[in-house]
Amino acid sequence: MQENSVLIVDDEPIVRESIRDWLKDAGYQVATAESGEEALEMIETQDFSIMVLDIRLPGKTGISVLKEVKAQRPWIKSIIITAYPSAETVDEATKLGAVDYLIKPVAPDDLERLVQETLGLVGREPTVTTKVEVRPKPPAVEVIEVKKSFVIAKESLKSMVESLTKEMEVVGVKSKHGKYVYDRIVSFDGLCLDYDVTVMPPTKYLLPAKETLLKFSVGGESKVEPAIEDRPRAIIGVHPYDIKAIELLDEAFMTTNPDPNYSARRQNTVIIGVDCLNPSPNSFAPSMGTRLTETGFDLLLTDIGGDYMVIVGSEKGADLLAKYPQIREPTGDEIAKQKMVRDEALTRYKLALDVPKERLPKLLEDSYDDPYWESRSKTCLSCGSCVMVCPTCFCFDVQDEVLLNLKQGERFRHWDGCMLVDFARVATGENFRHDKASRFRHRVYRKGKYILERYGRIGCVGCGRCANACLAEIASPLEAFNAIAESARIKEEARRIIREVRAETELYVPRLAELVKVEELTPREKVFEFRFKDGKSLGNRPGQFVEVSVMGIGEAPISISSSPTRDGTFQMAIRNVGNVTNALHSLEKRAIVGIRGPFGNGFPLETLEGKDVLLIAGGIGLFPLRSLVQYILDRRSSFGRVTLLFGARSPAERVFLDELTAWSQSPEIEFHETVDRGDEGWQGNVGVITTLIPKVDIDAWKTMAVVVGPPIMYRFVIGELKKKGIPDENIIMSLERRMKCGVGKCGHCQINGVYVCQEGPVFTLAQLRNLREAV
Amino acid sequence: MKPKVAFFDFTSCEGCQLDALNLTGEELIDLLNAVDIVNFREAKTEREDDYDIAFIEGSITRESEIPRLQKIREQAKVLVALGACACIGGINCLKNHLPMEEALRIVYGKDAKYYDTFPARPVDAVVPVDYHVRGCPPVTAELLKVVKALLLGKKPDIPNYPVCVECKMAGNVCVFERGMTCLGPVARAGCSAICVTGGRYCWGCRGLVEDPNIDSEKDILKKYGLTVEQVVEKFKIYNTYAEVTK
Repeated sequence: MQENSVLIVDDEPIVRESIRDWLKDAGYQVATAESGEEALEMIETQDFSIMVLDIRLPGKTGISVLKEVKAQRPWIKSIIITAYPSAETVDEATKLGAVDYLIKPVAPDDLERLVQETLGLVGREPTVTTKVEVRPKPPAVEVIEVKKSFVIAKESLKSMVESLTKEMEVVGVKSKHGKYVYDRIVSFDGLCLDYDVTVMPPTKYLLPAKETLLKFSVGGESKVEPAIEDRPRAIIGVHPYDIKAIELLDEAFMTTNPDPNYSARRQNTVIIGVDCLNPSPNSFAPSMGTRLTETGFDLLLTDIGGDYMVIVGSEKGADLLAKYPQIREPTGDEIAKQKMVRDEALTRYKLALDVPKERLPKLLEDSYDDPYWESRSKTCLSCGSCVMVCPTCFCFDVQDEVLLNLKQGERFRHWDGCMLVDFARVATGENFRHDKASRFRHRVYRKGKYILERYGRIGCVGCGRCANACLAEIASPLEAFNAIAESARIKEEARRIIREVRAETELYVPRLAELVKVEELTPREKVFEFRFKDGKSLGNRPGQFVEVSVMGIGEAPISISSSPTRDGTFQMAIRNVGNVTNALHSLEKRAIVGIRGPFGNGFPLETLEGKDVLLIAGGIGLFPLRSLVQYILDRRSSFGRVTLLFGARSPAERVFLDELTAWSQSPEIEFHETVDRGDEGWQGNVGVITTLIPKVDIDAWKTMAVVVGPPIMYRFVIGELKKKGIPDENIIMSLERRMKCGVGKCGHCQINGVYVCQEGPVFTLAQLRNLREAV
Repeated sequence: MKPKVAFFDFTSCEGCQLDALNLTGEELIDLLNAVDIVNFREAKTEREDDYDIAFIEGSITRESEIPRLQKIREQAKVLVALGACACIGGINCLKNHLPMEEALRIVYGKDAKYYDTFPARPVDAVVPVDYHVRGCPPVTAELLKVVKALLLGKKPDIPNYPVCVECKMAGNVCVFERGMTCLGPVARAGCSAICVTGGRYCWGCRGLVEDPNIDSEKDILKKYGLTVEQVVEKFKIYNTYAEVTK
């Protein structure tokens, strides 16, 4: 008898043929019959292990076919399919030897599982005990403990898996339509351990597509109870990248606010991993650091040709090995073989990140407005396939479902995803991520940045499933990561070209500049004008700074006070406060100093363009801000309303008096100033700078505020600006820190993890809200 | 007072009404405890014209159907379109590709002169529709869901995402990976991807999602080997009336 031969009896061609095709795909020998009469004829000449029988047939009914089969061929196991199930028919069919029944339309998975289970019955009947012989353990194995490796023979692994199937639900990887899926397994032979990738990840066993959270009743005796499933389950053949994904889910669901449903499932799950030696073409696990894993599993297998290496990952895993199979210590050759197969597998990956994954958060941070998101998402179908198949996606929706009596019901959750149109829609109709580009970007940010920042583990494990599932071929985070890395590289190159007005110099070697003019502003402050000896211009942006050297004394960071729009010299207004500035103050015309830079980001000119600009300078905050004021006045038509507020401690401490007068008379700029304390000669405003803000008419939604002043000033000014309704993104500040090297190396200027000399000194308030050391 | 529910059929195969009857005994009893069914041609002969909730089956294909539908709309507090023909025009709209005289001639032959017809359209092309129970046939559970939501006074949670979502939830291997093509990426879910799970592909019987990316779907169908005509055919079957194939 052929062990896997199936006869399908159904008069409807579509049912007959689809069942035939499914079972053939699953590797069964299949024959079909259109009627009971034909089936009985076939049974006389051929042998079948299973008959799939429609109960309602023209001519001889299913029940009478069953009767005859029971009499003639009692070993044939019959599965009934019916569109009209009734207790009587099922009862009668069972009495006549039918093993089970399925209701039409039949799902291929259900049928295949039932056939497989039924075949298990066929195979099991003659032998009473299991085939695996139980031998005493070889003495070589003394202690089975976490982190240790052993060798397990395939037969022995089979015995372990099959023993497990008797104790708990065992799921593993099976072949389906030429792809691989996780499904219930009943025997080791159906299990596939050398697959490339499964369509859906094994995380579906921890977070099912739909699960009940609560059961409730309302009305008379209102009651709400949690519904938690905690049936033991083993998942066999989990690849390392999926194990890493499960570790992330553990972090998300079991640390803060532990999720009872997830936790119960997770604690009842045994994970038996297997190294991926045959990677999927879309996988880039090595770039994400998920090709191998040392944690997150109970046992991990490596196919070393015939036998498996098994690594113990937990006490649970150690207990399993101690309980079931024969294992032995690995030989030196076997350890070498494991390394070899793993190394060989590495060479089979075709895709890789162009930058180290550690750089992704920063790259993404800087690419929020990149045109890539818009252009690449044009063909997005918003079908959600990428998030549905993702092992690290875990978002869900919650809904209530009641019975028709409207008294009892369940609250359940089901998978949801940020790529679906309604994900961020609220009851008023507002949709906070209404366009394809913002959804597309959000998903990539989650994978490369947000999840990492929130949970300390990167949100993409490089399995490649989303790339496999995306019909528009746009879903691979790898592609997005590489695209923005490339775009950042091009931008960086462009930036370099802008800076190339200055000669290439060694990093720490200053260029020589001559002091062409010096003028006293107050007894403590002077303005210096320099020109490079080689005649080149500085090429600065307003808001940038340079490192000024007086050789023998030292180097100090100084903001540029002039705009690049003015001719070949550059100015710095400097207060005499330290060694270098003291030395500078004693310099005379034609003295030589060293200059490195310009450094830092400068004010965001592109963002300011077209907007109303509110400039606020406190004291010598005017020194750096003056470069922006000049720039704006030189390109006046590119900006909306321009307002400048200036505050000094006393009339004597006012600086750039000529310019203050010019601004106060200019029609191009609205200028207000105040002093903290007046004197006899002072006739203007008295009061701190914040008192000026309420007096200014501001259109909050198109105003960018730029604030520069002493640290103490910021908090109060921000408070006033917020009262005016200016959003955090539109409040720009320049911060002062100890910028010793200017090139992001020495570390002095860090605010939390940010290097002020590189990412600053100009920040938006929105950026600073995340930097707790900032203001 | 139990709300009174009425079923009305327009141009259709009446399979939706039949499907509505496809409840288990227990469900049917619960339903009848919750509502009074006053009009239901497939199930009972008595009729009355006082009802709160009207289920409309079928599309509108004749001038004379318009006043009848309008009258129902006036009477009903809530009007629900039931099934593909009522919700999206469905397969009846295939005739819209022909001149109407020809359609009449093909169907009625020499008796064509006794009949009139006009291009088929969904219910909401004629009167406002409060809720849609989509599909060919509709999912019985969804019909019950809408009834329950109406009884509770809430908006039913009807999916507004494509079949792909439910197909992935069902653990299917993608139709495109099995050498066929599918409207799943732009068709409304709610059917648990029953056709794909059963080994077939999606025809889009529940209509297209809100703002479907038709251009992208068409490009994909072409990439998977369909000619322009085949792509159009694919959309025509259920979705002729939709803007996209006009």
